[in-house]
Amino acid sequence: MADLRDQTLSYRLRHEWPAYLYLLPTTIVLLFLNAYPIAYTVYISLTDFGTGGRFSLLTYHYVGITNYISAFTTNASISWGLIFNSLFWAAGSVALFLLVGLGLATVLNQDLRGKTIYRTLILLPWAMPAFITILIWANMWQVDYGIINEMLATVGVAPVAWLEHTDTAWAALFVTNVWLSFPFYTVVFLAQMQSIPKDLYEAASIDGAGMFSKFGRITVPYLMPTIVFVGLMGFLFTFNNFYPIYLITSGGPGVTTQIFITQSYDDAFGASPAFSTAAMYAVLDFLIILVITVVVIWRTNLTRNWLK
Amino acid sequence: MTGIRLEHLTKRFKNQVAVEDVSADIRNGEFVVILGASGSGKTTILRMIAGLEVQTSGHVYIGDMLVDDYEPRDRNIAMVFQTYALYPHLSVRKNIGFGLKVRHVERSEIDRRVTAVAELLGISETLDRRPSELSGGQRQRVALGRAIVRDPEAFLLDEPLSNLDAKIRSSARIELKRLHSQLGQTFVFVTHDQTEAMTLGDRLAVMNHGRLLQYDTPERVLSHPTNRFVASFVGSPEMDFLEGSVEPTGGSYTFISGPIQIPVRGVGRPGPVTIGLRPWDITVHQAAGAGSVPARVAGVERLGSSDQVFLEVGPPGAPGPGGLPAPPLTLRALVRSYDFEVGNMVSIGFDADRALYFTADGNRIESMSAPTRVG
Amino acid sequence: MKKQHSRRAIRILKRAASHAVLIVACLFALFPIYFMIVASFSTFPLGAISASILVPRPSQVTLTSYHAILLDQNPSFVAMLTNSLIFAGSAALIGLGLAAFTGFALSKFNFPGRRTFVYFILLISLFPSFVMILPFYLMFAKLGLIDTYIGLIIPYSAGAVVFSGILVKNYMDSIPDDIEEAALVDGLGRTEAFFRVLIPLCLPVLGLAAFLAFVGPYTDYAFAHVFIDTSNLWTLALGLYSINSPEGQGVQNYGLVCAFALVMSLPIVAFYMAFQRWIIGGLTMGAVRG
Repeated sequence: MADLRDQTLSYRLRHEWPAYLYLLPTTIVLLFLNAYPIAYTVYISLTDFGTGGRFSLLTYHYVGITNYISAFTTNASISWGLIFNSLFWAAGSVALFLLVGLGLATVLNQDLRGKTIYRTLILLPWAMPAFITILIWANMWQVDYGIINEMLATVGVAPVAWLEHTDTAWAALFVTNVWLSFPFYTVVFLAQMQSIPKDLYEAASIDGAGMFSKFGRITVPYLMPTIVFVGLMGFLFTFNNFYPIYLITSGGPGVTTQIFITQSYDDAFGASPAFSTAAMYAVLDFLIILVITVVVIWRTNLTRNWLK
Repeated sequence: MTGIRLEHLTKRFKNQVAVEDVSADIRNGEFVVILGASGSGKTTILRMIAGLEVQTSGHVYIGDMLVDDYEPRDRNIAMVFQTYALYPHLSVRKNIGFGLKVRHVERSEIDRRVTAVAELLGISETLDRRPSELSGGQRQRVALGRAIVRDPEAFLLDEPLSNLDAKIRSSARIELKRLHSQLGQTFVFVTHDQTEAMTLGDRLAVMNHGRLLQYDTPERVLSHPTNRFVASFVGSPEMDFLEGSVEPTGGSYTFISGPIQIPVRGVGRPGPVTIGLRPWDITVHQAAGAGSVPARVAGVERLGSSDQVFLEVGPPGAPGPGGLPAPPLTLRALVRSYDFEVGNMVSIGFDADRALYFTADGNRIESMSAPTRVG
Repeated sequence: MKKQHSRRAIRILKRAASHAVLIVACLFALFPIYFMIVASFSTFPLGAISASILVPRPSQVTLTSYHAILLDQNPSFVAMLTNSLIFAGSAALIGLGLAAFTGFALSKFNFPGRRTFVYFILLISLFPSFVMILPFYLMFAKLGLIDTYIGLIIPYSAGAVVFSGILVKNYMDSIPDDIEEAALVDGLGRTEAFFRVLIPLCLPVLGLAAFLAFVGPYTDYAFAHVFIDTSNLWTLALGLYSINSPEGQGVQNYGLVCAFALVMSLPIVAFYMAFQRWIIGGLTMGAVRG
């Protein structure tokens, strides 16, 4: 139907050209302040800017894909660590977001007294800017005088050095990240669940379905497009979510919780600027994201609404 | 003075011709209904009159003025959309007054006209509400009010009744007709509903696949359809069609289709032909021998004031591919309520004077007595 | 009879379990915020904190921390707030203006190249904004834009255009074309219809986009840390970070950090509370439409 109504090309040019005027400022911004810096990043990743000896911050040279090669030879352990950590950080967080969000939305999607109050309170973390609350969480996880350890002390638990062991550091990151995001997922899933027609559940009840089979046979399939969409968005966002790692663990202990984006920032603006390495990790980050996005979109037809 | 004139109007989309070479005059003050199924191009014509769509070729005149290059806002027409398209963020008062406000009409004048229109449409008490707080019927009136208040050259209405409940639709129809005679302005009304078309239109324009098939008064469209499509599309219940041929019988001609024989009036011409009969032009007799053709009542639909009966004429046909006999010829007839039951054996007669003749490709044969004009 | 009893018992159990789950979720959600508030009003020796502050006694409530951050800062809190408002406000305004036009063109015009443009924006949006710091830094160092207002406003706005543009386009897609066409018939040109009908209808999403475009720069540390040297351009985010990791001292003054964090959050929280419906509605709609 929509296809049949498509105007011809010449018609579109003659009658829809004002769109180009409206897009002109944005196009300039996109080209000069987005596309160009991205291309520039790619270029720097192909030089020895900051990594080619003493004067490479002043004069640097095109070195081809040398940086990429050494990333997977001499520095392979760092690079694979970054890939693993970034994927683990994003996938693990999204799994928790979906689990907690779906669970709480299911619980909230009943006739319960005080439902609105619960909903309002659960949404509160959302009102606070993430940068600020992450900083507070970073303090809460401190081994000395961190409020979490102080509270554990009141029930006799010895202080835990949360950020000094890889396992507990990840645990701290995930808990913090869930705190930051679960309100959003809960509200989104709740809104979707409330739009499921009641008669679907009634029909299932008549057919003898129990609570769990209703959840599996009706709720989950109905929510699937939303799950895939917010799952992908959450993955992309978390993959490049800078502050939780930068502020809580700084990639530590060692580099065991370092992800691409924090590594790139540290390389560029740390004690010894290694711009080319920083740019290379930025490019690798983008490529991984791009591949994942393309695959998910291709497998799930997600673009239908964007490109309508 | 012309209301609206369309000259060879054509609209091509990328993969489809939506409107093809449509010419029509709409007289000033006339109520014209464009009738067609969805995809027939009727809405595209309306949008081209409004200027929301620009034609590929041809011309549109509004009030003797060539408006091909005019923007919608300069055509001085008003439009009522199928969805009403009320501004959700404005009150009813502001919705109705919007067109005046953007044309810099003085505020006191806007107030006066909005109040008058609201009174005319009986929506005075809703003026300070938002569209979302109104019923479907009220929204439709607001949409009408927004059109009326501007005192435009013509009103374009795109299926404005299709979103109303069946209950209020007929009263809305009567009201719209009353409004038209009160305002005396040109109305162009698009619909797929033939009841709306028959009751509202001074003239109907019947469209199919982008072509204007017939443009005439409702009575003429019903009694003298130009082709088989119009004949079957207009009229309820739908027309019966009999495939057969005209044979010479002695000094005159007779139409023969299986057991059915209908004398052809005037001087006929032999050959294959399709006859169209309105269900109310078929008479059904209780007694098996009273009519000319025996039939069996296969189904009865109680319409209230009358019944529609489905009549099987003649024996089942030869077995089809599945071994089952092909269904027998079934005709529709309109009869008095509760006269017949399923299974009754009856006989039927035809009002030969009212039969319409069509060629194989669907054009109506104006007169069987003028063989040169056939085909 | 017996079956009915057990069914009722199950229902009560289910309800109790539901409440328990929700109470735990609420405590989890509230705890850090609660901790911030009580810590900001407490006094304790530097670095010394104990769980006892979680049960504050009225006699111990003190405004010392607020006094310190509001009056004894260098640069002053007001100066940092002014800078933050300048940076975030300009970015939100510029980004939003561009996004509104972009959304309009992409949603309501059927021009050749539309799809390509949408793909282009989506592709750019995949490039992580934090790694844009490096090219911007190198570019702006050459142009002498480091340590200037304009030098930070530009990257902030450029970032806002991308996501706000997509947001506004998606929202405008949900406004029926009929409404714009009604405005055209009523006597407006397309541009006028945009300003007088579509913009008012898009207020919810524009509010949301403005909010997001503001909060980003307002709480940005990563860009500001690199782009700002002199303290008279310091923003609140830089101030908060420096209080949290005071040079030369191993331990934080939690009272100061929490008081600063709370005061800094106030404008955001106030805006969020005022427009909660739009913000939540806009974000969930975007997700649900997907």
